[in-house]
Amino acid sequence: MWSLYKKRLLRDLDRWQSNGWVSEQGRVAIADEILSSGRSLNLASALGILASVLFGFAAISFVAAHWDDMPRLARLLLLLTCVWAGYGAAGWLERRGHSMLADAAVLFSSGMFGASIMLVSQMYHIAGDPADGVLLWWIGTFVAGATLRSNPTLALTLILVCTWSFLKTSTSSYVHWPFLIGWGLVTVAFAWQRWWPGLHLSALALSLFIISLGYQLGSGHSHDLVAVIGVLAAVGAVAVEKFRPDLDHVAAPLFAYAVAVAFEGLFVLQFFENPVSGRLIILAVVTLVLLVAVIAYAMSAGNRGALWIAYIAFSIEVLALYGVTVGSILGTSVFFLIAALIVAALSYAALQLARRSSNGGLPA
Amino acid sequence: MIVDRKWLWPLLGGVALLQSAALFDMIYERHRLLKTGREITLAVRPLDPRDIFRGDYVTLGYDVSTITKPDAEMDQEYKDVAVDGNVYVTLSPKPEGGWTASHVGRVYPAHIDPGEIVLKGRVLTSWKSENPASTTLSVRYGIEQYFVPEGTGRALEAKVRDHKIEAIVAVSSDGTSALKGLVVDGERHEDPPLL
Repeated sequence: MWSLYKKRLLRDLDRWQSNGWVSEQGRVAIADEILSSGRSLNLASALGILASVLFGFAAISFVAAHWDDMPRLARLLLLLTCVWAGYGAAGWLERRGHSMLADAAVLFSSGMFGASIMLVSQMYHIAGDPADGVLLWWIGTFVAGATLRSNPTLALTLILVCTWSFLKTSTSSYVHWPFLIGWGLVTVAFAWQRWWPGLHLSALALSLFIISLGYQLGSGHSHDLVAVIGVLAAVGAVAVEKFRPDLDHVAAPLFAYAVAVAFEGLFVLQFFENPVSGRLIILAVVTLVLLVAVIAYAMSAGNRGALWIAYIAFSIEVLALYGVTVGSILGTSVFFLIAALIVAALSYAALQLARRSSNGGLPA
Repeated sequence: MIVDRKWLWPLLGGVALLQSAALFDMIYERHRLLKTGREITLAVRPLDPRDIFRGDYVTLGYDVSTITKPDAEMDQEYKDVAVDGNVYVTLSPKPEGGWTASHVGRVYPAHIDPGEIVLKGRVLTSWKSENPASTTLSVRYGIEQYFVPEGTGRALEAKVRDHKIEAIVAVSSDGTSALKGLVVDGERHEDPPLL
């Protein structure tokens, strides 16, 4: 990711220098700065992370096999040795400046910790809740990730928190609110680390949680709540962008996630909840108008993520509407009427866009 | 990883120690429960004779896994039991052997007879049926899975189908229970202690 940006910047620098906008010294200084800054994501580190994930799966399968030829104590000691060896390797690698490989080693240890929990549960026939084991696992992994400031380990923690919640909700019919505690802890750690991919992962997890509320609250028919939360969050993000332009980098992605959540809620209300045709028309018009508004706003604000989500949502919405209306009571004419209204609205949005882009907006 | 050099090794050691301690605590709790808990045997009722073995563990059902009470005999404590909540089931020995659930409530009972024992569980489902009006609770005690080495399940499965099988369960004073082993055809199968 970073190397892509660097490559592009270096190419631009060459062009700017030949145009005479940047001096020779300026080019060298900028190039030095970007080449030395940041942690580059090299192949060795990426493979190291992958290897740790594979080691983790190997250990879990090893536990599941319940291999009798090796005494239980020996199996436990083997896994514990792996936990310690991983942390030892992390220290050694960190000392030699291989920070990303050290991250991979910490991730390895966290995987071994999880496998050890499974082994102990198996040794003592702890049936209970598999979720309880995952709870201990994510707490241990969170402590490791936050203390050692290891981003991949924190990412694993978030995945484990989601797994924990998923296991909890699959055995009961209630919303698993404690998810928010685990989610909050990891998100604060991501923010502290200033790790953007992690914050995206957090936003994605929270979006899925909000969407799941629609299927759990009100005996599974609370999708209107999901739509309202999404719309309110989107409005909130717009407000933040307006009044605190310095927080634009946070508000813009939030807006995109909020749009996705709101659309999911509206989509389910329209197509899975079998509304009467009058309600369907109102919901469809609301959805399409909101999406056109999102497209217009995303273009003016230069929010590519939201723009793409709105484009995709718009296509899905129109296709789904076509699917239900054609051949039903509503008939094809209503579908075309709605489509025409939308396209008219879109052309107005495009007109606005043309005016804005001449003032430095985002090209389509 | 962004760790101050001075703190690198102490932090790594601290995390490793903490995770190890969590594991040892888990082992210690279970070990103590198995050692000191009161031992009872429960008759095992295969849930479905054809599908007892899922992967590498045996799923065990017990007579006290489903508790049915006619509405006429229901007391307030039985009514208070909530789905997904904890439940304390008092077991009384039956004259012909085995156990019967004599009391069910949300809290540990204040009085139990010397012969009785209390098991702590979680209510999975609760349903009402008519004629005669009754309420049935489905309860899990955490002793429903018996892990077996890969490939040995089939042989044990045949034994379960043909013979009487009992579970050896250790119960602590707060009602937590742990599966110690199985009695298959009068023969005791138990994992040796770890240490």
